[in-house]
Amino acid sequence: MDTVLAILTVFTQPQLLLLVALGTFAGIYIGAIPGLSVTMAVSILISFTFSWDVYPAISLMVGIYMGGVYGGSRTAILLNIPGSPSAIATAMDGYPMAQKGQAGQAIGVTTVMSFFGGLIGIVVLALAAPFVSAFALSFQPRDYMLLAILGILLVGSLSSGSLVKGIFAGAFGIAIGAVGRDPLTFAERFTFDLRLMEGGISFIAVMIGMFGVSEALQQLHNVDKRAVRQKIDKIIPSFSTIKTYLPLSLQTSSIGVIIGALPGTGGDIAALMAYDHAKRVTKNPEIPFGQGAMEGLVAPETANNAAVGGAFIPMMTLGIPGDAVTAIMIGALFIHGLNPGPMLMIDQPDMFWFIVGALLTANVFMLIFGLTGIKIFTKIVEMPRSIIIPLILLLSIVGAYAVNNAITDVYWMLGFGIFGYFMRHYGYPLGPVILGIILSRMLDDNWRRAIISEREDLGRFFEGILTSPLSLTLFVAVILIFVSQTPIWRAAKTRLLGKATS
Amino acid sequence: MQPDVTGTTDHNSSTAHVQQTNHPLQRRPGELGFAIFLTLASVFLLYNAYGISGFRALSGAGSVPMATTLVMTITALIVTLRTARLGRIAGETLAKDILPVMVIAFIGLLIVFGLLLKPLGFVLTAALFLICAIKLLSRKGWVYTISIAFLSLVIIWVVFRVVFTVLLPAGILPEAEFIQFFRNLFAGGAS
Amino acid sequence: MSFKLMGAVMALGLSATIATAQDYPSKEIQGIIQWGAGGSTDTVMRSVTPHAEAALGGTVVMQNMTGAVGAIALNYVVDADADGYTLLMGAENPMIYKVMGLGEEDYSAFTPINLLARGTAMLVANNDAPFDDYAGMLAYIAANPGELKLGATGPGGLPSVITAMMNAVEGDLDVIAVPYDGDGPALTALQGGAIDVMPAVLGAAVEAIRAGSIKPILIFDTQTNATLPDVQIATDANAAYATYLPWGPFFGVFAKNGTPDDVIAKLTAAYATAAEHPDFVALMDSRGFTMMNISGAEADAFLTKWQQGTAWLLDDAGLTQASPTAFGIARPSN
Repeated sequence: MDTVLAILTVFTQPQLLLLVALGTFAGIYIGAIPGLSVTMAVSILISFTFSWDVYPAISLMVGIYMGGVYGGSRTAILLNIPGSPSAIATAMDGYPMAQKGQAGQAIGVTTVMSFFGGLIGIVVLALAAPFVSAFALSFQPRDYMLLAILGILLVGSLSSGSLVKGIFAGAFGIAIGAVGRDPLTFAERFTFDLRLMEGGISFIAVMIGMFGVSEALQQLHNVDKRAVRQKIDKIIPSFSTIKTYLPLSLQTSSIGVIIGALPGTGGDIAALMAYDHAKRVTKNPEIPFGQGAMEGLVAPETANNAAVGGAFIPMMTLGIPGDAVTAIMIGALFIHGLNPGPMLMIDQPDMFWFIVGALLTANVFMLIFGLTGIKIFTKIVEMPRSIIIPLILLLSIVGAYAVNNAITDVYWMLGFGIFGYFMRHYGYPLGPVILGIILSRMLDDNWRRAIISEREDLGRFFEGILTSPLSLTLFVAVILIFVSQTPIWRAAKTRLLGKATS
Repeated sequence: MQPDVTGTTDHNSSTAHVQQTNHPLQRRPGELGFAIFLTLASVFLLYNAYGISGFRALSGAGSVPMATTLVMTITALIVTLRTARLGRIAGETLAKDILPVMVIAFIGLLIVFGLLLKPLGFVLTAALFLICAIKLLSRKGWVYTISIAFLSLVIIWVVFRVVFTVLLPAGILPEAEFIQFFRNLFAGGAS
Repeated sequence: MSFKLMGAVMALGLSATIATAQDYPSKEIQGIIQWGAGGSTDTVMRSVTPHAEAALGGTVVMQNMTGAVGAIALNYVVDADADGYTLLMGAENPMIYKVMGLGEEDYSAFTPINLLARGTAMLVANNDAPFDDYAGMLAYIAANPGELKLGATGPGGLPSVITAMMNAVEGDLDVIAVPYDGDGPALTALQGGAIDVMPAVLGAAVEAIRAGSIKPILIFDTQTNATLPDVQIATDANAAYATYLPWGPFFGVFAKNGTPDDVIAKLTAAYATAAEHPDFVALMDSRGFTMMNISGAEADAFLTKWQQGTAWLLDDAGLTQASPTAFGIARPSN
């Protein structure tokens, strides 16, 4: 009974309800603008809500978090520029839909599915948090390393053109991620003895450059072409449409919750893994992936919103952040006099249930705001290109600067933007570059931790993998996926089945 | 991925508008040069990665950089060899299809933006950039250009500088004093 | 290039004419936080600064600037004007940048506004570790050389200093140092069993200890700790630790040398008031930090002593890139 009351706290105080609504609304726009991030917004809110009570402060933060994760999909669909890293996969099928005039429909499906994913994440948080956090803790460095390799194999999914060029792009991304002083030994890597390179290259700056600037430069080719008229009927997807994608979205939501709950991995990796999963299990999509497949929208959007609930799992049960945003929220709880840690659930269960309630509310507001503002949003794509291109470029510059207040990041952003423009033209996929950067540290650090733990002994390293059920499962998955992508497998499959299944 | 699809639909979703020209059996102008450039750059990075920690230990800071740059070198070499065997697409030129005047002009504008951002400050640089860019693209009157540029700049500045307190380079404008003036005004009005 | 320089000179001249000390602060102050959002330094700075703003009657805009173990943020403030409008909010790390080869600057280029608080280091162990106290741990290491996995956070981090201290006092311990990028991830790994023992700040580990998910081994202090009174202290375990203790990470607010004296005075007064605020004191207590709230000559003396002790400890352990003597850092006398 107390539990129910704690969940409903949000509804009993109109002020809290309003703050969640406000947060969600603001979050959608913060998420949509590349360069404004939820992390930034929440850390500013710490100072802003300093003198408030803890409930109102948390309400606002939870709203922004939920809205922000969803908001990234808007610009990904409308402009092919992901507003936040977790929306990279959404652009791959969302933008082609917008080009066919189906932006409204794409946003509608995205919104409903984000709601669904968010809901799954919250339900898992409410019912199974202790189990999931125990599972997440059991991940050893070698498991994170295997997970990173599994992620890198997604290169195949993300490069619809030449696979060799895709592999090059992925390796390039890993190299970019290694630039700067190595966080484990402080050795300089690819810095060429330049001070400005010591801090490394901001991943967000590369993303904004490769997607924002190179897309804007690309659009210069068709300045005079009229923008595609967007159909704005059929925004709310029919029940049968939702039902079709229900099995898939359940699977991708589970991926989202688990990846979200692992400390050190978040919505961005979850969304990419879910996209890959969708591509694997969907045998006959109505529209091929990469050209506007619904599955390509459903998978990443359910996963990244489910990852929100997932990220709260280690935070609430162990005081360990699931991602950057929950890390700041832990700080906020400290400042407001709480002690987030394993005892929080026992000492102050109300706080846990209050957050569950606030998340649920934010999720509902996300659905409402998401489905109502679409008509105005789609007008953005219909704006003249002569205005939208300069604005995208300016926003890219401000956004890159805002990441770390560094002018160096602006230079990197512009450099990678121009480089990305050439990559586009010569058929090198950009997705794998970003994938490589995201996974670079995870792969590198955990490989070194794992091999150091085994005293540099490869034999002991493999023994460790084979004797741990979790590591073995991940290892087998890596092998299977790798083999299924090689030409030998394809040849064998063709011989066995007689013909290709396309 | 679905291996069966590769090769038949050879285009990237993000370059869907290039797809009609992006023929897999022919190379685009400049493509071979780009591939050679990538190969040379990869070899250079591989050499650089070797310099980080050499072959001292599996756990060395340079192990993963060496592995990844080796993959880059090999794949770049394969791409170069494959590209070299293809014939040029007839009718495409570097100046027309890859780097038209407008793209070069914008790359130039962006470089100038980067150079001026620190000394001149964000507001002035961005204003100049927006006016030049909108004028170049829309070819409409000055009143139209300047009013659109001004309006969008004000919105962006308020959101980033005031709401999100991103300390954009102030340059030669006394921006912080300006904000403090308004802050005092509001504080004065409230009390 | 020369054009850029010209612009910079012009900008400098203009801003210099505007900034006068009498009406300080006449515009918002930038507070550059050396570490990322959500970390210890971030939490401490964001909870003390609002009180300082109230005392100062101005606005401090705090920005996280991460990278190169905080050197990026430090260099940013060094490059800014010494007008009191750019403050560095940092931790102890810059004091060993020079010997670790991480940069040419440290806090000697700064005037301490306030050294807020100091943390206490301790050893914590995974619950399944086959020992429950410090003596047991040493016995286990002696019996199983090269098996104990000890968490680390890179050369110069707190664990490396504590490890160096242990090696200096107990003789070289044959353990595996597994590097993590911060004590947060390392403590997570400790709970998951990826490492066996972790040298950490008391405040970061205390909640997990209270919940019984990790076990305390030793506190590196000379006095019994009020938060964890039952845990053995280092000088009780081995009197030789007294040479190096008390030692611990600290947090401070700094202004670049050359900032006008009255500006320094105003800032010092504001942060001293802020550090006494009961809310802040309560927060620091709950996280296991020891309040210092010192400035001026007292702070300088603390910094010098800290740097001497730590730099030579790391140097003796063979972890430094350059000898402390090269930077005029004297060997501690006692």
